[in-house]
Amino acid sequence: MERFDVVVIGAGPGGYPAAIRAAQLGASVAIVERERLGGTCLNFGCIPTKTLIASAETFAHVRDAAAFGVSVSGATFDYAAMVRRKDKVVDQFRGGVKQLLTANGVKQFSGSAAFKDRETIVIDGDLTIGAKKTIIATGSTSATPGFIPLHERIVESRAFLALDRLPKSMIVLGGGFIGCEIASMAAMLGVKVVIVELLADILMLLDADLRSEVRAHMEKTLGIRVLTGAPLADIAADANGVSGRCGDETLRADLLLNAVGRRPVTEGLNLAAAGLEVDARGFIDADAYCRTKAVTIFAIGDVTGKTQLAHFATSQGLVAAENAVGSKPRRHETLVPNVIFTAPEVATVGLSESEARALERPVKTGKFRFSGLGKSLAAGETTGFVKWIADADSERLLGAAAVGPRATELIATATTAIRAEFTARELGETIHAHPTFSEAWMEAAHALRGESIHVPPRRR
Amino acid sequence: MVTPIIMPKFGQMTEDSSIVEWLKKEGDTVAKGDTLFLVETDKSVMEVESFNQGTLLKIVVGVGVSVPVQSVVAYLGEKGEAIPAAPAPQRPAPASAPPAVKTAAAGAGAAAIGAAPSAAAPVRFRISPRAAALAKECVIDPHAIVGGGPDGRIVEKDVKAYLEAHDYASLRVSPAAKALAAKEGLDLIALGADNAGKRIEVADVERAVAEKPTAMSKMRQIIAQRLVQSVVTAPHFYVTVEVDMTETLAHRARLNAAGARYSVTDFIAEASVLALKEFPTVNSATDGRSVRWHSRVHLGIAVNLDQGLVVPVVRGADEMTMAELSARSKGLVDKARAGRLAPDEMSGSTFSISNMGMLDVEAFTAIINPGESAILAVSSTIRKPVVRGEEIVARPIMKMTLSSDHRLIDGATAARFVNSIKTKLEDNGLWSALTS
Repeated sequence: MERFDVVVIGAGPGGYPAAIRAAQLGASVAIVERERLGGTCLNFGCIPTKTLIASAETFAHVRDAAAFGVSVSGATFDYAAMVRRKDKVVDQFRGGVKQLLTANGVKQFSGSAAFKDRETIVIDGDLTIGAKKTIIATGSTSATPGFIPLHERIVESRAFLALDRLPKSMIVLGGGFIGCEIASMAAMLGVKVVIVELLADILMLLDADLRSEVRAHMEKTLGIRVLTGAPLADIAADANGVSGRCGDETLRADLLLNAVGRRPVTEGLNLAAAGLEVDARGFIDADAYCRTKAVTIFAIGDVTGKTQLAHFATSQGLVAAENAVGSKPRRHETLVPNVIFTAPEVATVGLSESEARALERPVKTGKFRFSGLGKSLAAGETTGFVKWIADADSERLLGAAAVGPRATELIATATTAIRAEFTARELGETIHAHPTFSEAWMEAAHALRGESIHVPPRRR
Repeated sequence: MVTPIIMPKFGQMTEDSSIVEWLKKEGDTVAKGDTLFLVETDKSVMEVESFNQGTLLKIVVGVGVSVPVQSVVAYLGEKGEAIPAAPAPQRPAPASAPPAVKTAAAGAGAAAIGAAPSAAAPVRFRISPRAAALAKECVIDPHAIVGGGPDGRIVEKDVKAYLEAHDYASLRVSPAAKALAAKEGLDLIALGADNAGKRIEVADVERAVAEKPTAMSKMRQIIAQRLVQSVVTAPHFYVTVEVDMTETLAHRARLNAAGARYSVTDFIAEASVLALKEFPTVNSATDGRSVRWHSRVHLGIAVNLDQGLVVPVVRGADEMTMAELSARSKGLVDKARAGRLAPDEMSGSTFSISNMGMLDVEAFTAIINPGESAILAVSSTIRKPVVRGEEIVARPIMKMTLSSDHRLIDGATAARFVNSIKTKLEDNGLWSALTS
């Protein structure tokens, strides 16, 4: 039986960096993947959706080019070609992951891993390997509740991305970030989209001012119908289409996208043999050092039920690898930026205004709208704003949010500033290049302190 | 006419008091008998009423400041009247007395700015404005700096040399952490020394803030003082007995079923009072030279509150029926919980009981209240196997430990006394005679 210092189960954005870091630290490492290297993020999630969104945005830019004085007539698109481009990007990226693992001496096994005991893992029931330490990084998959029938016209995000043509109309069940991203992309390409969300609003994790900004743009500019506060009942599908009842209305469309949420993947791992079990929601409990209650076993990423984001899994993966191999344990990071590629984009990091209120923590906020920036006007992208949330007393930056152009890029600045424990004063004093979208952060920091240059003072 | 409002004196012991809350604001109209403010004394919180009517012109002493009794705390008069130049509240010159308790609060830890370097000769702290400004800007404690100016005055150069000597330039600190440290009066050099070269972050400062010593409440300080006095002067020794509570509990259940509510403490109190009559030595006190016997039993009953222990006193417990004793102690305990005991309701006890029965303890010992010579520590009643005849049976067993002042009480006396209480508690006939 071949033995390894570290065995990583799952080669997604948490697992493969963990394997590489463990190898960098001198450990003998194996990684076991039952599907494709790169996991959901690379193959069925982040990367393919962003590739298709880039195609959709390019089409929208060309279509609307007249506003910039560029004449294009009869702009059309070929969705099948967009999908082929997506597949090429994904293949290229996956090849890169394989190369990196190989270059770092990580032995790759293809198959499903199951614990035989705490330090022994069986792959596909026949190959047995020994593992001094194990990192579980099995991720999550789309949840399909029982009330959703099985039919080819009903897809979750992964199956949607595999389609080579778009439906004419689509019902999106679930107004979370996955549902809203795909809805935005499809609407840009002319699909008639209805989002049905059981909760009072879409993207409920966001502050109300961010939500209303995104929702207004999605409804008014992209023409998406958003129905909130009621479930989709009586879901049915046949050869002609799908239907469901929302309130008093019967909705019909060519396709239904199920985006109600994701569930952890633990089946087949035989956790009991390792002395582990899942919690009531199916997650594997891991502490701030990514340790499970079995001393040799770590868990990271979506399967741990903390923030379900690829970059958080990566950060946890590096920590788990260091803690598994090294002698000086460190805690995983807790400041996790959250990015949503809707139109307009939204990104947040740290404490939200409503979270601060729930904690009864006194905060000050400072907002600046992109419409006040030279660069925004020049680029014709004036939707949205950025916002700082700071401690009322010390003005320490606690959270930030951006909605609008480049929001998902802009959040990096805010994340760095919050991680470095900047105060609003220092951020406001930091020189930001002109003319750029980034200036919004500086302006919002000024606004927080009541020192805005580019906003007239409020009348007293 | 402007009348000063003074800090009243509560009880014999009180020297300083502080206001915990003003119920009236400057400018408020005050009627005779209105409660003006609440005072924390050594033992409880008292309401202070106005003897006059008028407008509260000026509050001189704010919340939380400890001032000597008889100090002026506010002025009352007609609206718009001028008030006399307020004398700063001052303590009478201490007559070679040790420093007052309140100054103990200044003994802050290493990281706290303002901690005097030594308690010896009170040298005036002298620092130039530029030096003080630099120290403040760098968020360091200037008290640790040796002054090189005239009369040991700290000048800017001294601060700079100090910063260099402590390698201040290599300190890494996040902006928010620095702002918080400045606000909380912490010293960055001390924080850096605790942080092993890592960058000082908000979490580090928050830890130091949480660890910063804070003044104990007046009440806690008095408790500390009295406990130390007792342990140092009275040589304690301990005698423990087990009481079979079967009879007492059965009788109590009968009484409760009949509507007469008695607590277990009531039975122990009554048994103790009866035993004290049999053993007058235990109801006495000594200063090491003379013995003073108390003809009356003033029974102290310890009550645990969030802010500390208080011991309300049932005066004349020896002349009460058990029903009276029970009613009086319940009244006092309720008052104690409300923090409204009068000073003479918590002083003058001759013997005390501390009952931790509800806290699930096997056994414990108590410290004798100064002025007494014994205290009874009562533990939880726990069902245990005991031998009765030749049988092992389960019985509700309660341990009691008597702490005695050995200067006055010998082992045999303590043993007989505590067994006398035990016998009474196990005697159903006695309880039937005393209560129905």
